Amino acid sequence: MRKGFIFFLFVLGAFTAMSQTKINYIEYDLPNGIHVILHEEHSTPIVAVSVLYHVGSKNENTDKTGFAHFFEHLLFEGSQNIDRGDYAKLVEKNGGALNANTSQDRTFYYEILPSNQLELGIWLESERMLHAKVENVGIETQRSVVKEEKRQRVDNQPYAGFITEMFKRAFPSHPYNWVPIGSMEHLDAAQEQDYVQFYQDFYVPTNATISIAGDIPIEQTKKWIMTYFGSIPKGQALNLYRDCMAMDDAKFTAKYGMSKEMFNPKDYGNTKDKNALALIKKYSETPINIRRTQKDNTKINGVITDTIFDNIQLSAIFMGYKIPDQKNADSYALEFMNEVLSGGNSSRINKELVERKRLANYAGSFNYGLEDGGLNIFLALANDGISLPEVQKELDEQIRLMKDQLISAEEYETVLNKFEKQVVESYSTVAGIAENLADNHVYFGNAARTNQMLEMYRKVTREDILRVANTYLTDNARVILYYLPKEK
Amino acid sequence: MKKLIYLAFISLSLQVSAQLDRSVMPKPAAAATIQLKESEVFTMDNGIIVILSENHKLPKVSFDLTLGYTPGMEGAKAGLGELTGSLIMSGTKNRSKDVLDKEIDFIGASLTANSTNLYLSTLTKHMEKGLEVMSDLTSNANFPTSEFERVVKQYQSSLLSVKSEGEAMANNATVKVNFPNHPYGEVMTVNTLSAISLEDVKNYYAANFTPQGAYMVIVGDITRAQAEQMMEKHFGSWTGKVPSKPSFADPKKLDGNQVYFVNKPGSVQSVIHVSFPLAMRMGNPNNLKMSVLNDVFGGNGFGTRLMQNLREDKAYTYGCYSGLNFQNEGGWVSITGNFRNAVTDSAITEIVNELNRLLAEKVSDDELALTKATKTGSFARSLERPQTIARFAYNIQRYGLPKDYYKNYLTNLNAISSSDLLELAQSYLKENNYNIVVVGNEEVLEKLKKFDSDGKIIQLDEFGDVKQAMVPADISAKDLALKYTLAVTQTKDLKSAMKKIAKVKSMTQNSTLKSDKIPFPLSNTEIYTNKGIRAEKMEFGGNVAQKSYFDGKTGYTFNMQTGEQKMTDEELKMAAFEQALFPEANLANNTSAVKMELLGIESDGANKYYVLKITQNENAQSINYYNVKTFMKEKVTKIQTVAGETESATSQFDQFLDEGGFLFPRHLIVSTAPITFDINIDKIEINGVVDLKGF
Repeated sequence: MRKGFIFFLFVLGAFTAMSQTKINYIEYDLPNGIHVILHEEHSTPIVAVSVLYHVGSKNENTDKTGFAHFFEHLLFEGSQNIDRGDYAKLVEKNGGALNANTSQDRTFYYEILPSNQLELGIWLESERMLHAKVENVGIETQRSVVKEEKRQRVDNQPYAGFITEMFKRAFPSHPYNWVPIGSMEHLDAAQEQDYVQFYQDFYVPTNATISIAGDIPIEQTKKWIMTYFGSIPKGQALNLYRDCMAMDDAKFTAKYGMSKEMFNPKDYGNTKDKNALALIKKYSETPINIRRTQKDNTKINGVITDTIFDNIQLSAIFMGYKIPDQKNADSYALEFMNEVLSGGNSSRINKELVERKRLANYAGSFNYGLEDGGLNIFLALANDGISLPEVQKELDEQIRLMKDQLISAEEYETVLNKFEKQVVESYSTVAGIAENLADNHVYFGNAARTNQMLEMYRKVTREDILRVANTYLTDNARVILYYLPKEK
Repeated sequence: MKKLIYLAFISLSLQVSAQLDRSVMPKPAAAATIQLKESEVFTMDNGIIVILSENHKLPKVSFDLTLGYTPGMEGAKAGLGELTGSLIMSGTKNRSKDVLDKEIDFIGASLTANSTNLYLSTLTKHMEKGLEVMSDLTSNANFPTSEFERVVKQYQSSLLSVKSEGEAMANNATVKVNFPNHPYGEVMTVNTLSAISLEDVKNYYAANFTPQGAYMVIVGDITRAQAEQMMEKHFGSWTGKVPSKPSFADPKKLDGNQVYFVNKPGSVQSVIHVSFPLAMRMGNPNNLKMSVLNDVFGGNGFGTRLMQNLREDKAYTYGCYSGLNFQNEGGWVSITGNFRNAVTDSAITEIVNELNRLLAEKVSDDELALTKATKTGSFARSLERPQTIARFAYNIQRYGLPKDYYKNYLTNLNAISSSDLLELAQSYLKENNYNIVVVGNEEVLEKLKKFDSDGKIIQLDEFGDVKQAMVPADISAKDLALKYTLAVTQTKDLKSAMKKIAKVKSMTQNSTLKSDKIPFPLSNTEIYTNKGIRAEKMEFGGNVAQKSYFDGKTGYTFNMQTGEQKMTDEELKMAAFEQALFPEANLANNTSAVKMELLGIESDGANKYYVLKITQNENAQSINYYNVKTFMKEKVTKIQTVAGETESATSQFDQFLDEGGFLFPRHLIVSTAPITFDINIDKIEINGVVDLKGF
């Protein structure tokens, strides 16, 4: 044992001196369907514990937009064993930090803790998954908090609404039509039953990925995961349990044909009642079918041009083009293209529009890739006294050049060097590593992609970039938004 | 048997563990000891202090250079340092900006610069190239005129957009009101920017970009031997003078609460900053205690008093935080948040109450324990970034902290008691002595009065300067009309003025109009006759864009979109007043019944103006600004309401020159909602041939 320990230290020493360029991890499924990814590294005594639920605003009903994000807020309220308001306190009291975010495609929760508090993190996240508890006072408070968040981040920010406006026009028939912040009217109209349903539909083991990275003992971590997450009932048995905890007996009996007295609330799976056991078995064998959305392969119907008046001083232009879902092989070439156009000071759009022609205060492009499709967006904030048609003309010219000629060998190498640095930087924090591994597993079915990024970029050829520019940057199918100052 | 298997299956599938009691929170394992790696420090012959923190986890390295000077007052050129910083990367004697940008992007590195700091982050294998460019910037930046002009223009644009950014306006106001006559209270404005010349920038660079007393912090995958070699090779020959290090006194204490308001029409939320200066600088032994107190109060996280009260309990906001700033030349506290209009005053009440509570009672044991735990955790988490270790070494060097400050950090943190914090609060804070800055919709203004100790809210502009309240004028409106008339006619009394004006039978004025929004210049012709005619026509390439004609009784307007339209009665009345060569002369002479009111004297910083409001009717008025020294009319704002929509146009006049014995402006800038015209008056002809063709 002692010898082994010294040997281990030696290996570790040799390894750190060499610099890390690859993320090692293990992954497996729990019997109830939760996917687990663990990455061990001991450089700092901290750990990131995260759970990714594969649910975002695209899983919402058209009359309940903003739910996924609102639900994220509600899931900090507490659980059967954690009093309202204590969730964050427990983390902070123990030297940790926590937060969450919701996109169109997923909801991601994480804690960063001193490594000796790993079990606390696992317990907290398992409580959130098993039996979160949301009281009416919490719903009312978070409803107002979300409204303030929208006022602060969207309504009161110049240009902030452009993503909303862009997606509204580019995705008329797909739930990307709205953005995660959603509609405040919908949140106001929401009933308690809506929340219960959302929890039962999406916050379930088969829709969850646990990703833990940092200063962890692998074997002990697996044991704790088994204890806290492995004990979460499988299939619909989880929702049977949740109903058992939350419903009154009359409602429960009406739904399940059996009194909840038959179940042992403290030790639900170990009831002595035969019928109850049979019900649990039946429900645990009934999988929860998660409603998935379809990819959006539709094209933008012609050129959609609109003018938006906002509380701004400089007018701006935003142009959006449909691109395929992020899993499509062309995504890498599109990323490459955007780097050539607007990555760094020497990039084309910055040089031409901002520095040489001085048309714009800021200008750039990026791809907003998502699970079911995405947009390639060009934007520019016009300098004072410059008209938007002038700016658009120059953006169009940059697009035309991209479609007409191969990028130079020097540009190609510049972008590859930049990607190489980005990849190295993505390995800097354990929280970033945990998130990367989880995203790659969920979106690409391949956690190993975390280590394959540079290889993927290297496969892109200059001809690929020319081809994707011609395929997707279509002059006759795009959304153009002009932002103009509201008259005083 | 079958039943047994069945039961086994169930318990397996449910993974039930009878031992697990979920209601018990897990206990922590033994805490890992936090080990601080040492940084190395060495000084180069030219005065650069190098701090090296090796970390070989990832194959990257960063070089962070902080110059040794202390920025001083910039006064009328506020923003000089900032502008210089923005121009450092504009090119060097050896590299144009394009080449420089290309070289840095090519190695995938990032290199940024501002007035006190240059930062390079690169993969270790490319550091040689990166340092070559970085050191070129510190010694050879050459500030090309074209880049200076471009960046100034960019600043002009962003200064324009400050008006739409509530947070930026609140920050400007906060630093200004807390730090008068102090470099921290200086804000770049349109005026200070225009006062900065390229020469100023070059001088600033020459004086302050010197190796003496500069710190170079190197972090990452590099050895001591490599670091020494790199520094010698790239910065060894850099020379320069000892930089200036002026020092500044703490701002004087406040005297009661003062409310400052910045109007932001159309806001749905108010940006609130409650702030006060703190007589505590970086390096003060009480820094740690103060930061514990601030964390209990409203530092980071959800568990603070501000977050619990204003977000979790009352749902007034998405977030409310208290920021503690210690710097070399002063300190301050600023509590910030965004609140919907309806709860703006309630939010201030709560923030002020929470502040006052810090002085009245000890923090609870729970709060103190929570904060200590949070700080311990964030200290540990911060060690994940290799930069942290280097920052520790830098702080010890730069701010004269004890050598073992960070080694003893956690011990010292744990020793802090709630009595310590109460004592600290009582010696550094004073109840109801806060600057309350609100940026928002005017509808909240009235409700803010109650927070101000003397009930007088001070209104600020977007840059935090006091919106000057007008001073009462020392003359009457009629006197002003007279003085103006005498000044433009260059006469001694009204009688001679009227006589001189009467001698003008006609006047024709030709001008050229330019605008960034129109690719070609326009020409304008304006005709006056003493028979009551005023005619004006704007043309381009032989086409008439718009024209107007008034013959003393009737008249019409014409433009390309709407065609010709007869003047309404209201318009005719206005035209009659404005037809005069100098309408003010008729006001002075009591021959006009148009209502005028002298509002007072306003100052724009450089000049003082009499402000005269002329009301034609309820839908049309103009505000005229007359220079108090010369009585020239330098600015006119016309406000007109047509079909319920209010429009305004502002004209600024300069270059007053003599023509036929009268002073006329030869240049003006007219700005109205979407467009600004720069107009040169090319020719003024008095008593020449009148050509009314085309009217």
